[in-house]
Amino acid sequence: MLRHRNGVKHLKRVAKPVFFIVLAVILAFTGIVFFGVHTQYGDFTNTIIRGVSDIRWGIDIRGGVDVTFTSPADYDATNEEVDAAKSIVETRLVANNITDYEVYVDYNSDKIIVRFPWQAEDDSFDPEAAVKELGATALLTFREGSEKSLSNGQTYEDLPLIISGSDVEKASAVYQLKSGNSKEYEYMVSLKLKDSGKDKFAEATKKLSSTSPKGYISTYMDDKCISTATVNEEIGGGEATISGNFTADEAKALADQINGGALPFKLETSSFSTISPTLGTGARDAMAIAGVIAFGLIMIFMIALYRLPGVVAVIGLIGQVAGTFCAITGFFPFSNSFTLTIPGIAGIILAVGMGVDANVITGERIKEEINSGKTIDTAIATGYKRAFSAVFDGNITMIIVAIILMGAFGTPDSLASTILKPVFFMFGASTEGTIYSFGYTLMVGVILNFLFGIFATRLMTMSLSRFKIFRNPALYGGKSAKKRAAEKAAATEGGASK
Amino acid sequence: MNNKKVFDFIGYRKVLFLIPIVIAVITVIFNCIFGIEMAIEFKGGTMLTYSYTGEIDTNAVKKTVEGENYGAVTVTTGSSINSSLEVVEISFSSSEGLTADKQTALSDKLQQTFKDNSLTLVNSQDVNPTSGTEFFLKCLVAVLFSFVLLVIYIAFRFKKIGGLSAGVFALVALVHDCFMVYAVFVFCRFPIDANFMAVVLTVLGNSINNTIVVYDRIRENRNLYGNSLSLKELVNMSITQSITRSVNTTVTTAFAVLAICVVCAICGVTSIMTFAIPMMAGLICGTYSSLCISGPLWVLWQENHGKNYTNAGNGESKKDTKNLASKGTVDTKKLMV
Repeated sequence: MLRHRNGVKHLKRVAKPVFFIVLAVILAFTGIVFFGVHTQYGDFTNTIIRGVSDIRWGIDIRGGVDVTFTSPADYDATNEEVDAAKSIVETRLVANNITDYEVYVDYNSDKIIVRFPWQAEDDSFDPEAAVKELGATALLTFREGSEKSLSNGQTYEDLPLIISGSDVEKASAVYQLKSGNSKEYEYMVSLKLKDSGKDKFAEATKKLSSTSPKGYISTYMDDKCISTATVNEEIGGGEATISGNFTADEAKALADQINGGALPFKLETSSFSTISPTLGTGARDAMAIAGVIAFGLIMIFMIALYRLPGVVAVIGLIGQVAGTFCAITGFFPFSNSFTLTIPGIAGIILAVGMGVDANVITGERIKEEINSGKTIDTAIATGYKRAFSAVFDGNITMIIVAIILMGAFGTPDSLASTILKPVFFMFGASTEGTIYSFGYTLMVGVILNFLFGIFATRLMTMSLSRFKIFRNPALYGGKSAKKRAAEKAAATEGGASK
Repeated sequence: MNNKKVFDFIGYRKVLFLIPIVIAVITVIFNCIFGIEMAIEFKGGTMLTYSYTGEIDTNAVKKTVEGENYGAVTVTTGSSINSSLEVVEISFSSSEGLTADKQTALSDKLQQTFKDNSLTLVNSQDVNPTSGTEFFLKCLVAVLFSFVLLVIYIAFRFKKIGGLSAGVFALVALVHDCFMVYAVFVFCRFPIDANFMAVVLTVLGNSINNTIVVYDRIRENRNLYGNSLSLKELVNMSITQSITRSVNTTVTTAFAVLAICVVCAICGVTSIMTFAIPMMAGLICGTYSSLCISGPLWVLWQENHGKNYTNAGNGESKKDTKNLASKGTVDTKKLMV
């Protein structure tokens, strides 16, 4: 009755070994993604490829601090000022030995969003004190001498103060000729001093440059020395440079910090939350067990329902999950990794659900085709072909949702945020990075579903179907030719007797 | 081609529509009586959770905190998350947000006052009411904007089966599913928090996918059979053909989520429970709405307003038939390629 039912005329043949190649690739990939590749030299572990144990867990899972700073309500900070504030916060995080932090800024609402995990090694870690310290007003000072000139028991405060941050009008990164050298250029920080600092600075530089060896000026952010420079000559006129073999980024960072020290706006906490690690690790272990059991159940269901296509589907799903984890860890140590949060896990679940669905739709279609009398080859080819439009539309709508979420809740400078700016223009950057994680894992999972759930499974099924032992319709959930003939006969009889 | 019995979804639509309406009414009543709690991240305010040992006098805790002038204070105790941990939860709405300074001061004061209980801060959340409201609005805009794009996408991809109306009824199913998630939060007395948003988003995606699978089948059958079937027959058949798929997918995924529920219940990880239970309900509702709501509703609309079909069974205008038949042929060729 249907013309196009016989439509697939030229079946592309897939060679027998293809199944084993695809299987081997997926399993090897999964193994690498889950366990990672590490080399060990004594106590030092070198990560070549990141494994699941290297996943950066969100603070909702492992505990930590999430705090949003804003400028006071009556103060509109410029972009430079916000950058400077961010730079200060980062310096302080590092000073507190917190290196795995995330800091985002939003220029429109002058927000600085800071997240960092509970410091695992540190039992006495006090998140309230840490946040208090982050938000304290930074004090930038220029002092005579360097850290080396301090004797035991002396602190930086014992170095004579020349000027402080409030005497600096503006600092900027510049690329100019090295002093006393007319050929080589280098990055430096150029300072423009206020009238209040000019004379003091001139006097100090005069004194320091006349000593032998020449004296130093050190720049301190609170109690941390960020730069020490030799004073070559007296600097009058309120213009000074700080040099020290900086890269472009370092020079900009230092300029930001100096501007920050002179920053007139106070950081106020507009939201602040802490989660203790005892909640975190319990949740993480439970999620791991739950994930394994859930995946086991999916395997059992798929294989019980769809036999051979079910087995293939499970292999594809393993690949999809491994691929998602790969996109979270970043795979290589130098690539970016993403933070996995509870909504991020929800995204993985939904994407796996989509993967299951793609395979269920295909499996059902193959079953239908076999039951309507097609050969195994035709049934598989038509089954995949006809399932495709539903899977395609489902996946594309999912990607639309994922992109919107990434745009709404992502960092302000991400691609999706930029595209969706017209929609969310009236909102500032969100403090909920957790939902961004949902969008990310969902999008990655759905894209991988195209690769593993459709492409790889089709290759595997077609390749397997060429083996004689896999040509039994029952393996595809279909009825054997004999049974179908018997049923048909029964149906005709039944129809005739009516 | 299909020896399965075709279930008359269209015929039973009154019953099928009534069930969610009844649930909705009960939810609204329940909601009015018991109310629903907005979590701190949306309404703003402060919640501090301390673990403690021994016995603690909640009234004394309340008095201590009230002494600091933070407005209305609520103090509850319970054993939460890791069942070994006894915790006391203090929440109040501080209109200006609690700065880290103030929080440290409050913690110190509590720790001094209740020395014997060795209070330790487990969890603290402080959200400025403005940023809470802003976050909630942003979530809403994100959801609404996805609604619009999804309707446009469906209208485009399914223009053969009356695009825009199909998109709108997919949206009805979506709203139904999101409401059912809300209902679960109402009945379970879970506060509306970030987990709620995550579940709504997941269910939104799942629901639209379910509806698309059914629409896809209608689109395909429309190409196969042209106008030889009445609208009712066409939709009934398409839905029936999708049942096995819908049930299999839902059972598989819902059981996976159930496994997560059970494991988390055993381990006492409540933060995931408030996420997994509504999600399971949402998955089931998504299947129901795609089979029993969007398709039948769409038929109802087409019967009354549709241009492609006049009343089912009455036959179509000649021009229309010809038009569709030729379209059908074109698509058949496409499928053959």
